[in-house]
Amino acid sequence: MKLAVVDWLFIGWYFVLSIAIGLTYSKRAGKSISEYFLSGRSLPWWLLGTSMVATSFSSDTPLAVTGIVVKDGVAGNWLWWNFMLGGALTVLFFAHLWRRAEVVTEVEFIAIRYSGRPARFLRGFKALYLGVPVSCITFGWVTLAMVRIIQTVFGTSGIAALAICLGLTIFYTTLSGLWGVVATDMLLFAVAMAGSIILSVVSVEKAGGIGALVDAVKAAGAANGKDYLSVIPPLGQALPLAFFVALFVQWWAVYYPGAEPGGGGWSAQRMLAAKDPRHAVKGTLWFTVANYVIRPWPWILTALAAIVVFPGLTGAAPGETEAAYPRMIAFVPKGIAGIIIASLFAAFMSTIESIVNLSGSFLLNDFYRPFIKKDASEKHYVAVSRVLVLVIAVLGAAFSYVLGSVKMGWQLVMELSAGIGLVLLLRWYWWRVNAWSEIAALSASAGTAITLKLVPDNPVVRGLGRALERAGFAVDAWGVGILLIVAVTTVAWVTATFLTKPDDEAKLLAFYRKVRPGGAWGPIAKLNGRSYKLQAAPFAGWALAVVMIFFLLFGLGRIIFMDWGRGAAYLAAGGLAAFGLSRIIARMDWEGR
Amino acid sequence: MALGFWGVGLPLSVFGILFCETRAQRVTVIALAAVFLAVGALIGRAKR
Repeated sequence: MKLAVVDWLFIGWYFVLSIAIGLTYSKRAGKSISEYFLSGRSLPWWLLGTSMVATSFSSDTPLAVTGIVVKDGVAGNWLWWNFMLGGALTVLFFAHLWRRAEVVTEVEFIAIRYSGRPARFLRGFKALYLGVPVSCITFGWVTLAMVRIIQTVFGTSGIAALAICLGLTIFYTTLSGLWGVVATDMLLFAVAMAGSIILSVVSVEKAGGIGALVDAVKAAGAANGKDYLSVIPPLGQALPLAFFVALFVQWWAVYYPGAEPGGGGWSAQRMLAAKDPRHAVKGTLWFTVANYVIRPWPWILTALAAIVVFPGLTGAAPGETEAAYPRMIAFVPKGIAGIIIASLFAAFMSTIESIVNLSGSFLLNDFYRPFIKKDASEKHYVAVSRVLVLVIAVLGAAFSYVLGSVKMGWQLVMELSAGIGLVLLLRWYWWRVNAWSEIAALSASAGTAITLKLVPDNPVVRGLGRALERAGFAVDAWGVGILLIVAVTTVAWVTATFLTKPDDEAKLLAFYRKVRPGGAWGPIAKLNGRSYKLQAAPFAGWALAVVMIFFLLFGLGRIIFMDWGRGAAYLAAGGLAAFGLSRIIARMDWEGR
Repeated sequence: MALGFWGVGLPLSVFGILFCETRAQRVTVIALAAVFLAVGALIGRAKR
């Protein structure tokens, strides 16, 4: 595909705007570590929530959704929609606690919650693990996906543009810290969404309009024995195990970047950067709604149109089905194509800038400062942070250049921490969880995942598979693997918890007084002389948030497919749930005083 | 930040008029341009 001069002019103008916004904040970010990594803890809800959704909207996300829809229809999206259950849980039960904890990073939580040498080891290990290999793999994954998009659209000639984009992004991110990241994220998310909406309109027109698209997709589904438009998986006689695991296990058990149980990574960083706990809650709610309700439909429409426009696509290999998304750009008129390309760059930039800033925060705050150079000046730490951000960017870029495919590595990182979610949730609400609980969970999860990789067909897997088949499930290896990892990990960390001593009372008491979490803190609450109760309102709020998101998501889908009656009914139900939820959020005491 | 939204919204509205080939495309692009301009105005007001 060849872009017109006007397209390149728009792309260049978009770069100038993004970089100018980023650089505006460089002086402010240089004042202290709190300014550089947490924007001085002054972010309003709309800014931090938009930054979260911009970060999770990567250049490869529309491609992945296209691949899912072409293979399994709209219902295939349950593979990631299930994380909405965990997202709603984070809004109501964890966002305000993160803000009250007042740590700089997710990893520093370990230092205020656990005591002794195991806690020091765990903090140092997690800082390095999340700061280097996980960050480099994520960086490499996102960059490689962008390289493939650029090659699909331009051939090899677009790689120079990508290199310039990467260099400029790292330049302003290094100088302007989280301030630059969240400020540019506002524009990047808007541009990314605008591009995907315009592409979906062009794609639907290419397929003959929405009515013709629905008819053609139904016909294609009938030929393949599938219902591409259904939002519910074909349950038939046997419930697919993958669907069961996604709906009932994955969202609380698997540590997936951007959907960590209880919050973590860049989502926790933004909750920590909120003005106050209420802004952390509202910002996380806005992220959850934008992520699950607003983002998906333009991609789904483009994917459905691709099924019609490219006959034979449903039988193609996964790489080819995903490439259908950038292939649709060829139908966009000149002058508008530049906007679509800029939107892909925007999605790429918003993720990259957050990855490098976050990994810099882990390495500085949880490794360099506690273990290498204590008590230096804020200026020194900011200077070191900038160097670390730059080093991670160079490492990540090198990683993406060296590796032909990071998919295996990425999957391994996911599987290594597939069972640790429960301990991450309960560490806030149960006083007995200690550093050994987390160490045991990490070791058991990684050990089981590696064993399953090395010996996938073993008696335990076969036995569990047969038992699940007898229980009426359509079994798949992935679902069995996740269930096994979660079971082994849970047994391991609960056992380790009861076999080891509780943390120091003074440490637990300080945490309890500072965070005021409620839940199972019996002996510590007694020491405190005052008990913080877990209220009923967040449970009702969680149920309402889930209902709201489901109805708004499916209501929007019904309206797009011109099923006006059901669409209006769903949206009304979603609106009612939103009203109830807003009452709960307005009335709750998020400070916990 | 507000200038960034206006900086995208203005060319988007011009491109919508000049380059879109169908009515649906034109309506979509101009509506999105209007959203950009409105968000820019909101951010500008919030900052003041």
